[in-house]
Amino acid sequence: MTDATLGTHREAESARRRAVAALKQRFAQQDVALACLLFVVLIALPLAPGVQGWMASQATLVIVYVIAAQGVALLVGYTGLVTVGHGGFLAIGAYTAALLTKHFGVDMLIAILAGGVMSAIIGTLLGLIFLRLAGPFMAIGTLGFAFFIGTVVNNAKIFEGREGISLPPKNALFGHAIGDTGFYYVSVVCLALVTLFLWSLLRSSVGRALRALRDSERAAEGSGVNRWFYRTIAFAVSACITGIAGALSGLAIHFVSAEVYGDIWYSVDLLVAVVVGGSSMMMGPFIGGLFVVMVPFFFEQLVDFASILKGGVLIAVLLFAPAGIGEVLARPVRAMRARRLAAVGMPPERSLGKPMPVNR
Amino acid sequence: MPSHLRCENVTVRFGGLVACNHVNLDVEEGRIVGLIGPNGAGKTTLFNVLSRFQDAQSGELYYRDQPISRRKPHEMISIGLARTFQNINLFREQSTLDNILIGAHRRMADPFGAMYSLPYARRRERENVQHATEIAELLNLSAELDTAAKNLPYGSQKRVELARALAAQPKIILLDEPVAGCNEDETAELRSIVKRINREFGITILLVEHDMSMVMSVCDYIYVINFGANLADGTPEQIRANPEVIRAYLGEAEELDS
Repeated sequence: MTDATLGTHREAESARRRAVAALKQRFAQQDVALACLLFVVLIALPLAPGVQGWMASQATLVIVYVIAAQGVALLVGYTGLVTVGHGGFLAIGAYTAALLTKHFGVDMLIAILAGGVMSAIIGTLLGLIFLRLAGPFMAIGTLGFAFFIGTVVNNAKIFEGREGISLPPKNALFGHAIGDTGFYYVSVVCLALVTLFLWSLLRSSVGRALRALRDSERAAEGSGVNRWFYRTIAFAVSACITGIAGALSGLAIHFVSAEVYGDIWYSVDLLVAVVVGGSSMMMGPFIGGLFVVMVPFFFEQLVDFASILKGGVLIAVLLFAPAGIGEVLARPVRAMRARRLAAVGMPPERSLGKPMPVNR
Repeated sequence: MPSHLRCENVTVRFGGLVACNHVNLDVEEGRIVGLIGPNGAGKTTLFNVLSRFQDAQSGELYYRDQPISRRKPHEMISIGLARTFQNINLFREQSTLDNILIGAHRRMADPFGAMYSLPYARRRERENVQHATEIAELLNLSAELDTAAKNLPYGSQKRVELARALAAQPKIILLDEPVAGCNEDETAELRSIVKRINREFGITILLVEHDMSMVMSVCDYIYVINFGANLADGTPEQIRANPEVIRAYLGEAEELDS
């Protein structure tokens, strides 16, 4: 090859790379636009006819579940640690907020923050223990934690067992009493902040380190990723997010009792939400949260049927779409984008040509 | 030349099996040192000891004469030691660029700044992406930066491993069979890359390899171990002429001559 043709070749190559980068940026912008659109819809929802009072609190419940599921997804999907005990963190958030509101009459923002912080502190301590357990043992450990929390809130006097802690019918925000619709907006803001934070975390070097640990612990450690440190961060952040959701849920219903928060099925529900929605994509918890709240809602008279349906969908997802419903929905979009990228010269995905050599 | 990485009297037992028996090794600064031996001689075990993935029952490790026997595996990178794996150990679902960037992990901003995407963290990230792109260029991976690692051809996967190690800007790299399973073209390419890394960047290299022509042509110095113990060490010429080495490699003698 002469220098001249080599030069043209280089130019074509860099032009191609620029085109691919530009298109990728456009796709990223589309994703952000979609997320913004979703939040516009959430903000406009109470303005729709019929979506007042009671409906608003149902929508709030969905949002609470979505936030809790985001916390679980950070651990299950991006860090590769299965937790069956996040209902425990939901309870910690709910009781922290309830006790502070009842005994000290704190502002709801402080109650929500305190729920998150308390959950994060306990999450960090538990992380230090659970992260010593591998695979299924950790899942069982977290299940034990959920049982433990259930027993404590059922029996310790301060939590008032099944009688429950009743909270004032109106939550106070900056000294103003707010109703169901106002509370709905507070939870939308919480959802937005948590989503933004997770998005930022996952695209940063922290998110990359977590995914690396999930995919190959040895290679990640060999590259200087401190396993304990990063997994503890993930555990704490995950607990904090679920704790915030717990505080929101307690304040939304104005009632926190062991009958609800002492039940380990909360933990299972959250895991189901994450698995059904898609554990390693931002969209997953949104779909999953909607799913686990709306199925019992639509089958109000048929509670057992709702459980059967939930289980059936879970099995179907695990069999046919193990990456979750979100992944199925995203597939056509991804295929279209891949075609457009190929059109500007990005090499198409190839399959591995040669098998891996046998270990010697 | 001063000692860069040294181990003294390293012994590793797995139950009744002695994988390494009082092994000594001294890698001098700026050199390419080979570690060879028949299958099961304990090469990879020694490698894992040197990169702290494996504890030794006895013996001491020194990095530039500082003892490092108690360091954790993830700390080795910040000391200046990177490694690759015998069986490719990439983050298969992630792109080539992300794989290389994990190598640059220690040069990223603190986790707090990174989590909140603070401006200084994003600036650091951009610098690292730039650097990773340059490394990819050096290793002929530019066209594959966005491809998921699992979809890369075998030779490219080997080079991504090397790129990830380089991204840490190490002073010494341990290469565990870099050309195992590669065809002749891929081997030739990796051989020239290993030489370039050593000559142009002054990175010390310790190499475990079965491909004798590769070892003999790139190494400045060679250690031979057999049954977990030192058998011989010397320049490629000395090793090739050593009767004990030839005996250990009985049946592979022709290969040594090539």
